[in-house]
Amino acid sequence: MKIRSWLAGLAMAGVAAGAMPALAAEFDGVTVNILTQTGPSISGPMQARAPEFEKQTGAKINVITVPFSDIYQKLLTDWSTGTNSIDAAVFAPQWMVDYAASGFLEDLTPRMEGDESLEQDDIAPFFREFSQKYAGKTYMMTFDGDFHMIFYRTDVLEELGKQPPKTWEDYLDIAQAAHGKDMNGDGQPDFGSCIGKKRNAQGYWFLTSVAGGYIQAKGTSEGVFFNTEDMTPLIDNAGFRKALEVYKKTSEYGPPDELNLDVADTRVMFVAGRCALSMDWGDIGSMSVDPSMSKVTGKVGATILPGSKEVIDRTTGEFVACDANTCPHAIDGLNHAPFAAFGGWGGGINANADPKVKDAAYAFFSYLSQPAQSNQDVTKGETGFNPYRLSQLEDVATWEKMGMGKENAESYLGAIKTSLNSPNMILDLRIPQNQRYQQVVLDTAVARYLAGELDVDATVETVVEGWNEINEELGVEEQLAAYKATIGAE
Amino acid sequence: MSAMRRLIEPKSLDAMSPLGALLVYGALIVWSLVVLFPLYWIAITSLKLPIHVSAGPVYLPFVDFLPDLHAWRYIFVDLGNDTLRPYLNSIVVALVSTALAMLIGSMAAYALSRLEFAPRLGSILLFILLGALMIVAVAGFGVPWWVAAAVALALFLLLMRAAGRTMRASLGNGDILFWIISQRILPPVVAALPIYVMFQTLGMLDTRTALIATYTTVNLPIVVWLMYDFFVTIPKDLEESASLDGASRFAIFFGIVLPLARPGLVATGLLVLILAWNEYLLALFLSSANAQTMPVLVAAQNATRGPQWWYMSVLILLMILPVIFLTLLLQRFIAKGMLLGAVKG
Amino acid sequence: MAVTSAAHVTAAPPERESLHDWLDRQAGRLFILPAVILILGFSIFPLIASAYLALSRFKLAPGGYTLTFIGWFNFKKMLTGSQQFHLLGTFGAITLVGWVTILGTVALVVWGMLRYVRSGRATVVGWIGRLIMIATALALAVLFAVNLGEGGQLGTIATTMFYVVGGVAVQFAIGLGLALLCAKPIRGRSFFRVLFFVPLMVTPVGIAYTFRMLADTAVGPFAPLWHWLGFAQTSWSADAWTARFVVLIGDSWQWIPFIFIVLLAAIESQPRDEVEAAQLDGASGWQIFRDITWPSIAPVAATVVLIRAIEAFKIIDLPNVLTNGGPGIATESLTLHAFSEWRALNLGGSAAVAYILLFLSTITCVSFFNFLVKPMREGRA
Repeated sequence: MKIRSWLAGLAMAGVAAGAMPALAAEFDGVTVNILTQTGPSISGPMQARAPEFEKQTGAKINVITVPFSDIYQKLLTDWSTGTNSIDAAVFAPQWMVDYAASGFLEDLTPRMEGDESLEQDDIAPFFREFSQKYAGKTYMMTFDGDFHMIFYRTDVLEELGKQPPKTWEDYLDIAQAAHGKDMNGDGQPDFGSCIGKKRNAQGYWFLTSVAGGYIQAKGTSEGVFFNTEDMTPLIDNAGFRKALEVYKKTSEYGPPDELNLDVADTRVMFVAGRCALSMDWGDIGSMSVDPSMSKVTGKVGATILPGSKEVIDRTTGEFVACDANTCPHAIDGLNHAPFAAFGGWGGGINANADPKVKDAAYAFFSYLSQPAQSNQDVTKGETGFNPYRLSQLEDVATWEKMGMGKENAESYLGAIKTSLNSPNMILDLRIPQNQRYQQVVLDTAVARYLAGELDVDATVETVVEGWNEINEELGVEEQLAAYKATIGAE
Repeated sequence: MSAMRRLIEPKSLDAMSPLGALLVYGALIVWSLVVLFPLYWIAITSLKLPIHVSAGPVYLPFVDFLPDLHAWRYIFVDLGNDTLRPYLNSIVVALVSTALAMLIGSMAAYALSRLEFAPRLGSILLFILLGALMIVAVAGFGVPWWVAAAVALALFLLLMRAAGRTMRASLGNGDILFWIISQRILPPVVAALPIYVMFQTLGMLDTRTALIATYTTVNLPIVVWLMYDFFVTIPKDLEESASLDGASRFAIFFGIVLPLARPGLVATGLLVLILAWNEYLLALFLSSANAQTMPVLVAAQNATRGPQWWYMSVLILLMILPVIFLTLLLQRFIAKGMLLGAVKG
Repeated sequence: MAVTSAAHVTAAPPERESLHDWLDRQAGRLFILPAVILILGFSIFPLIASAYLALSRFKLAPGGYTLTFIGWFNFKKMLTGSQQFHLLGTFGAITLVGWVTILGTVALVVWGMLRYVRSGRATVVGWIGRLIMIATALALAVLFAVNLGEGGQLGTIATTMFYVVGGVAVQFAIGLGLALLCAKPIRGRSFFRVLFFVPLMVTPVGIAYTFRMLADTAVGPFAPLWHWLGFAQTSWSADAWTARFVVLIGDSWQWIPFIFIVLLAAIESQPRDEVEAAQLDGASGWQIFRDITWPSIAPVAATVVLIRAIEAFKIIDLPNVLTNGGPGIATESLTLHAFSEWRALNLGGSAAVAYILLFLSTITCVSFFNFLVKPMREGRA
């Protein structure tokens, strides 16, 4: 065994030496353990790229996978107890603050500044300036552009004579009109709107996407979760209440078991032709051109999250009409707030790893993110990586080639572009223990609201009480400071 | 009339009437279908393409859909070693922990069934008190764990007799037995984090040893309970005559008692093996890369693109096959001995 | 470990004993020692550590974490504070059924106490144990009554109790029925025996996912039937009780084999001669079951129910995979509750939930053991 691997190493080194003398065996004998989610969508591209990288550098990339729901704890326990068996991880940027504030994450700022092959200017400003950073320093490298969009069936809308939804009223209107029609030719009635509302899944993100346009109007730094003055939850106001109502209303035009569907189910249903509308990350775009699962190739359009003509006033909590003052970033009089829910998979490095291992991990992450690799990976249907570089949005031809059709490709990339260019994008909640705010308090309350256990007022009350309680437990001042640091508020 | 009567009445005592037989076989076949259908569904799902799952149910390979080996290829070829490693881990962990649990558990059960133990209540309370103080010292005041453990142990040995004298009440075998069984009540979620910290302190996280030790302990109560019931039923004459011949307790236990208890050992062992083979929650806590076991791999097939039903099905099948094989092999014993101890108890 | 073996088997030690003799004399202790040490290490230590955790707040801090002692805060929050709905459920006005449940429990308790007093064997320890059990039983009865009342909802305690009581009942009934059938003189007995045993071998996580496939009302195998029955516009997953029953079905599929196989062994060892004599006397099948089979298998039945109940308290995989605890919190079990708090880093809260689970399951199982299993086993010995 030993001799064989040694020989293999030698052969590899030889190949690498021939091809790239500069990098040859730079990381010979260095093993990097990288933790990420199981399944082909995220670990797939990493595992596919690892052999090339190993050949060039001599490093050994060991991709460890655990189910999504266990990544956060796994990293935390490994790093906080000083076990340090994991050198780097590709995870949700939401968790960055918990790790970074505790000093587990390596500050990547100097490395990235000196790394020209990354072509940082090409990365969409939201990810470059907000998503990768905490308190002004870069701790993560984004591989995946994640934010919510609306997907619609172009053929169905055409048949109904409707335009893509611009407001949530439009959305409900289309959903109602399309609901019950057969949209995939199997003789079964299909659904107007499919949104993953399962508990302990992504439901609370979708709700925030509905609420965002009502609550945040003055740019990313205004924030959508807490008042940046005193950490009051932005829940007890007309905007959030309206969002709750709209969110529940969409269920009327959804599949009967929508409360038990997570986003993975709804996107499979959408590409199987069973839904007219859906809210999702970019994945439906690339899945719709995958012949092994899609029945709707060339029939999928995308648009930015619906906007609103009115937004809430932060002091009264009531709606005020949009004008140049209240909605400075409005498009056609509508305030859009695209929600970078989750924020896109990114890589972070364990600050306590061996320096050589850190270098190798960084080199691998950089390799993944460089346009040569990344631009291929985001267009593959089977990967979960979505576009996050500006150059990736210009490349209509590649998407067309994959069978999307020019119109669809333009609509898909256009929706991404408008969202990414919006200065009013919403940054996901990233303060310490954000999981407790969102997954425990908000998600449970929303699930109970959808199941009919709570009404709108009781839901609002429960969330406000729960959030305030956690604030007090962890310290209002500390949480406020962290919140302001993440969204870059003054 | 006579035809009617023949239908209802059995021909002989041990036989059943035709109608009765029809009902009995009918019920058995219905239940067989209940058992088999989910397994059948797993089997055909492992041969389906994603579209076969997402676009509505298809039931019969070659008739409804063309079976495809893509999932099997992915698990065996693409994942290759990433499947093999957890598989080997599962085999090693399940077998070794079962063997240890059986050995340690049978010994304890045998001792409880043959000897009288009378631990003093005072000593036990002292032990718990010292344990609590030790944890507070380590968690609250940052005392190194080995210092705390050593001090606690020394104090315990010093004060044990005094404590025993002040509280003379003592417990009996029944109490010990129940105490051991009650450990099974402990929900894994209570114990998981401290066990994690414990192995982390010892630097044994993500090793098979950690999983083996943990599984041995969580399954011990079952072994002790079932084997105790079994040993009680074994007549003592043989042991007594062997003892008079000068055989030691160890020789008696390994040479006479264990062979007699073979059906019970096999049945209990199989149950424990299945529990260890299928355990998920603790494996999730204690393993990451090297020691990952199969149940974790199965659960891990639930990804952002939805559960990968086809991969999952292949893995589940891979997990069931060896156990079925083992059950068939040991069928004879199970028939005789499944939880027999309890039967005679 | 403070264990003294009464040397009633081994002879008195000779004057100079060899190592061999010493070992032999200590055999009793040596036999039981490894088990005791392992259990102490893996159960007592975690138990105490968890208790400490349940009384503290976990917070990340630079370079690691801090644990702050906060007393009963975590428990208070769940028992009376903002998380009460989660653990205890939402309280509604008690309906007639609720009052019947409460009064029935009270009557049962009074009857049991009277019997205990009359038996003349009442002891202080016996009373303490009984009082704890009574308090728990009454509390659970009231909890059920208010949860099921007008506008009430089940919390994780009530849901877990439903899984335990309902699950064990269903599994016992079907398992016993199958065992009785398989004990009949039929062909292919060993085939059925092995086949019926199979579900127990499937990993619970796998079963959970399999049932999620099977229970899918859009693309699962029973979807056409579901639609044909006219349920196309409804789903089991949207209603609290149907969702709980689907969880129960999956759980039962896995655990019926366990009860089946144990009871089968018990039935097969019942006194054949008595059964034959009864048959000759013309006793009906039901009479034979009531008078011969049941009394002979009752102790085993009690034991197997206890083992099953102990495991049932820990249910997590099925609700977690099938519904993630939804709709609302309808299918969430205590273990799942603790697990999701733990995942969100509320380690103290998680330990507190786990402790409540431990408390509940210990009292239930100990009561069951003391008042049903033990008398039955002793009655036969």
